[in-house]
Amino acid sequence: MTIGADLGEVAGVNAAFSGFADAHGLPASIRRSVNVALDELLTNTISYGFAGRGGGQVTIEAELGADRLSVTVTDDGRPFDPLGVASPDTALPVEQRKIGGLGLHLVRRLMDDVSYERRADRNVVVLAKRLASGKTGSRQRKAHGHHHPNAE
Amino acid sequence: MDITTRTQNNVTLVALAGSLDSNTAPDAQQALEGVVAGGVRKVVVDFTALDYISSAGLRVLLGTAKRLREAPGGGALRLFGLNQSIREVFEISGFATILAVYGTEAEALKGL
Repeated sequence: MTIGADLGEVAGVNAAFSGFADAHGLPASIRRSVNVALDELLTNTISYGFAGRGGGQVTIEAELGADRLSVTVTDDGRPFDPLGVASPDTALPVEQRKIGGLGLHLVRRLMDDVSYERRADRNVVVLAKRLASGKTGSRQRKAHGHHHPNAE
Repeated sequence: MDITTRTQNNVTLVALAGSLDSNTAPDAQQALEGVVAGGVRKVVVDFTALDYISSAGLRVLLGTAKRLREAPGGGALRLFGLNQSIREVFEISGFATILAVYGTEAEALKGL
């Protein structure tokens, strides 16, 4: 699915992902970890990636394999690697700064694998969770959203 | 998210249901701030029906704990009923040692 770069859209993404997880019988623990990771990553991207311009877009695709769930988040905001060392926002009090850096820390720790690349003027982040074998069907499934990350 | 509060003796119980994330954190903050502003100094948050929590929710809890700690006469924030996923977030974030987490309501109320 593709959303405008608006914080009000984040809840809808998580509702859609929860529907996807339920439809495919994913364990609640995995669904919840992805819910948290999406909340952190999307709020971060939307809050800081599009400063000073409107019309930004974020595409979210979930893909379920035999032993792996991956969620790809693609945005056309300014380059930002969530795996890099987050530079603190010095405008914030120290205690808030610590909490602010916490979100991406949660993403990295809750996921089994997180990758980042800058591709065609877009940030592409892939969140992945391993699935215990037998939890899902062996067929490759593709979820809501565009098959091509660059499609708009 | 659904937020329900009830007060018994000197303790206000706040039950959170749904998810405590960037979307719902403002509602939770408003509810908890209202409780503290009303003069309550002992707050117990029921997580039994809470599905997941993100850093926006952790920020609300930390702010409430600080306000209670700094309130005249002091105060306390206790939590109970965390599911495994929420416990994991608490452990990763270090909040498991910052906040007072209990297993059941009875345990959370004991000695408060």
